[in-house]
Amino acid sequence: MSNTASKSLSPWRASDPRKAKKPKQKASDGAVVNSLNGGWGYLFTAPFVVMFLIFGLAPVIYSVYIAFFSWDPLDFTHTYIGIDNFVRVIQDEQFWLAVRNTFSIWALSTFPQMVMAIALANVLRNPMLKFKTFWRTMLLVPNITSVLAVAIVFGQLFSRDFGLVNLAREYLGMSNHINFVSETVPGHIAIATMITWRWLGYNALIFLAAMLAVPNELYEAASIDGASGWRQFRYVTLPGIRNTITFVLVVGTIGGLQVFAEPLTLAGGESGGDSRQFSTLTLFLFEQAHMGNWGYAATIGIMITFIVLIISGINFVFTRRLGSGENVQ
Amino acid sequence: MKKLSARIAGIAIAFALPLSLVAPASAAPAAVTLTVWTYGNVIEPQAIIDYKKLHPEITIQLKKSGLDAHHQSLITSFLANKTPDIAAVEVSYSGYFRSYPQYFTDLRKAPYNSASIENNYLDWRWAQGVGYEGTVFGLPTDVGGMQVAYRPALFKAHGLPTSRDAVAKLWPTWSAFIATGQKYQKNLSKAEKDSCSKKKVCYGFIDNAGTIYNAVLNQGTKKYYENDNTKDGKLVYESNPQVKTAFQTTATALGAGIGTNINSFTNDWNVGMNKGIFATILAPAWMMDYIKQQAPKTKGKWDIADLPGGGGNLGGSQLTIPKSAVHKKEAWDFMSWYLSPAEQLKIFKKYGLFPSTSVLYDNPALKNFKDPFFNNAPVGQIYGSSVKTLKPIYEGKKQRAIDNIIGQALSRVGLKKQNAASAWTQALNEIKNAVGPSK
Repeated sequence: MSNTASKSLSPWRASDPRKAKKPKQKASDGAVVNSLNGGWGYLFTAPFVVMFLIFGLAPVIYSVYIAFFSWDPLDFTHTYIGIDNFVRVIQDEQFWLAVRNTFSIWALSTFPQMVMAIALANVLRNPMLKFKTFWRTMLLVPNITSVLAVAIVFGQLFSRDFGLVNLAREYLGMSNHINFVSETVPGHIAIATMITWRWLGYNALIFLAAMLAVPNELYEAASIDGASGWRQFRYVTLPGIRNTITFVLVVGTIGGLQVFAEPLTLAGGESGGDSRQFSTLTLFLFEQAHMGNWGYAATIGIMITFIVLIISGINFVFTRRLGSGENVQ
Repeated sequence: MKKLSARIAGIAIAFALPLSLVAPASAAPAAVTLTVWTYGNVIEPQAIIDYKKLHPEITIQLKKSGLDAHHQSLITSFLANKTPDIAAVEVSYSGYFRSYPQYFTDLRKAPYNSASIENNYLDWRWAQGVGYEGTVFGLPTDVGGMQVAYRPALFKAHGLPTSRDAVAKLWPTWSAFIATGQKYQKNLSKAEKDSCSKKKVCYGFIDNAGTIYNAVLNQGTKKYYENDNTKDGKLVYESNPQVKTAFQTTATALGAGIGTNINSFTNDWNVGMNKGIFATILAPAWMMDYIKQQAPKTKGKWDIADLPGGGGNLGGSQLTIPKSAVHKKEAWDFMSWYLSPAEQLKIFKKYGLFPSTSVLYDNPALKNFKDPFFNNAPVGQIYGSSVKTLKPIYEGKKQRAIDNIIGQALSRVGLKKQNAASAWTQALNEIKNAVGPSK
């Protein structure tokens, strides 16, 4: 991720030294670069920057500001309360419960999904596979379906008395009905299933792209050495897509910390079920904002940011260590 | 700068002048588009068609959202000063908005003069649209009322009488209602009992005993708040015995196991309604329409009897005119027409929304109205008597949050995750953290 970011930004960084050191080399190219580094460059980037300032940065600054207030949206005056909101959030059992729920759902949805996505990509990589484009297209269908529609349909599948999941279990001889809406672990699994269903195909495609980038010679060499299908996968494919695995994990983690529509629909309310067992971080933020506690909701938002930062930090270290190891790319 | 403002003024005059010259001369009033934000079926489509016939110059632009989304975007629109001309406010949110009447047009003032029509409406429904300091910010739409919808055939099969008078006599009080439920459960067939003991589908007397809570609470004279003429109101959730009574009654019912623990408006509920998994639902008038739509094949298999304890309500909205609405007069004209007794009667007959205009309750057209779907029950009379007995209750600022917390506590009791006493203690703690201590 950091690679792509620095690449796309490189004209900005490189502009000054180039201008100063070799102004007349490659005159034809340089003219374009120079003119882009002038006013035009700013103009072309303006749409993003302006939008970001209005819809990205301004709300962030506003959130940080109101986190220091007791802020009911409709009040005309708001009381400054210093760091009270932060003290409250640290001591709030409901907040930590939301943290636990979020990570539980994240773990249940991320790891099985990664394994399945890699397996699926490996199947799609097979040169003997027929109707390749069809399969690859089908994988994306869950991803373009509305989250809410998915959540409603799955909510029906998982309902206690007449849901298909319980009826199927009954058919298989497990007679007791699971109450997905009130039991914590089955509920988390139900939510993770929705997330997995939605993102599996998307991630499989990313893995597929990475696998197709692994040089064919490696496979040929491996088969000459007598490596079987599994050993080829283990020693050629997996090392080849290691960076992609990290990438998917990072993106999945950021998405996982923002799980919202699925628990909301399954719980049927903002407080996330009778024991708050589906109350995720974003749902908790939403609930507080709905109760007119904008200041406290903003504080929760800041806490989410910190959690993302910490995890990104861990991930950064992790990736660097991977990168400094053997390089199979 | 000066030049610019002069130019703008010039343009404004140039536009205004011909208008002011033309306006008195032409008979047809200028075309107006009224923006109306609602949720659900607060404004029925037939009314919009009818109003267009009366006032061809008015176009009504209806925007419907989900209940929560609607109220949230209304709050945002207040902050942005870009509001619709008419906004619906549901009763679970009216407690919040009555703390902020400054954002609404005061309907007591001319040209609205709400006092002149106030007597048409139920007093407690009217009060739900009155701000803490007396501002009238909304007119009541339909009233939910609450009665017991039951299935005579299932009653017969489980040893209970079937006629609506005999059924109402079974349960003058809530404890009698619970005892009736226990009798029903005792008479479940072996197959029905086995299904539940094998942890499959549970059959029950009522869909969910948790719904009793609101019914009992609404039969009192106050809930969680008292009006002390301040914006935040006075919290009395712990000192008001009615809250505890409602909680205890419900917990007893849940403990007695008379319900199926199926939550309202879920898939299981809709299926259960069709299959006769439960024999009763505490049903507001608007729910009759829902039952008809979800379980059309159960036509004639339902009847309606009086609620224990006398009178009940669930739901209902007010129509309001936000302060920064553009077409206030036109908004009022539409609103007061739509919510007039004559129009509410029409809507009731077509859609089953029960009128909030109490002047209609002795009107033969309403009183003699029978519904074949509900075994020809005189629903007009039954719901009329239900809503007349209720008293005004102050809906406080964060009532919705408190309702949610108690609802969760009762769910835990119903699912046997917690006993009633500790669920109550936990609920009180959560309420204290969420909205503050009771006084």
